[in-house]
Amino acid sequence: MKTRELASFLGAQCAQAEYDDREIAGAYTSDLLSDAMANAVDNGILITIQAHKNTVAVGTLKDLAAIVICNNRPIPDDMIEAARDERIAIFVTPESQFAVSGKLYPILGR
Amino acid sequence: MVIKADFHLHSCLSPCGDLAMSPRTIAETLASKGVALAALTDHNSALNCPAFGAACAKLGIVPLFGIEAQGQEECHVLCLFADLAAALELGERLYELMPPVMNVPEKMGDQVYVDENEDIAGEVDKYLITSAEIGLDGLASLVAGLGGILIPAHVDRPAFSMTSQLGFVVDGPWDALEVVRMPAPEGAREVDTRGYPLITSSDAHYVEHIGRRAFDLDLADDPLALSDGRANLAAIRAALARRPR
Repeated sequence: MKTRELASFLGAQCAQAEYDDREIAGAYTSDLLSDAMANAVDNGILITIQAHKNTVAVGTLKDLAAIVICNNRPIPDDMIEAARDERIAIFVTPESQFAVSGKLYPILGR
Repeated sequence: MVIKADFHLHSCLSPCGDLAMSPRTIAETLASKGVALAALTDHNSALNCPAFGAACAKLGIVPLFGIEAQGQEECHVLCLFADLAAALELGERLYELMPPVMNVPEKMGDQVYVDENEDIAGEVDKYLITSAEIGLDGLASLVAGLGGILIPAHVDRPAFSMTSQLGFVVDGPWDALEVVRMPAPEGAREVDTRGYPLITSSDAHYVEHIGRRAFDLDLADDPLALSDGRANLAAIRAALARRPR
């Protein structure tokens, strides 16, 4: 699956669209950034409710293709700006981390 | 005597801190803003505190040696000491307890510390903005055992705070809580600070932010420093207890 396919697949809104479209290597779901930093998949996506710019720092460290923000958490402008600078996509969905992970597991889970 | 204090300052050791934030520059900027008591609080490390102490001594600022600690819950806590050795010991313990996630300076920023002459003395290899394997209670006991002051950081912020991580301010041996804005701005989410004394501080990562949220500390008749130059922690504790709640 490629980054640009995520929005329609998840029924999510793209909140930061200036990214490099690429193959997604996997996914990790966590709301503890230190845990995400240790365990997120390089070139993968992070599914989380942590909608602030520190999450983008994890994305930078792990070369994430995208961050999926769950439960429609509002995304501050400085997070969008940081992600734009790093060319990391941000998607936002009304669904929970559980629902998003379940949808993606058959595709990215192996 | 009411003095100006600033308890939350990052140096070039924090990966998010500007390289221009050398301990001497921080101390000089604090002096120019009339701050009399200041804590250097890098993420999970006190390795720039020796240089900070030396710079403060030359400028008549009373230093607190601090760390902004991050444990398992990812709530940032300011841990402040009068004794340099105690801060360095806490830093060593946190280093041992941090996972082996290495810093990538070109992506995350440099983590350098300097000597008294501002020459680079070393670089920390583990990424500092991660969680040491210690819970909030364990951290509180560790800091109390080392004689330090405990102040949960920016409790009203949506990241790395008690409210963002745990949902509310939890009880503990906190000498005060740091809030970003006092009083809370119109329309801001109300945080129940549960009767703890409140302070603000700069959380400075850039020179222009040093002293931006310094706070007043009323020491009454107590001296700010002891005869050996160390901060008078008992007086500071008592003064914190007099802060608005």
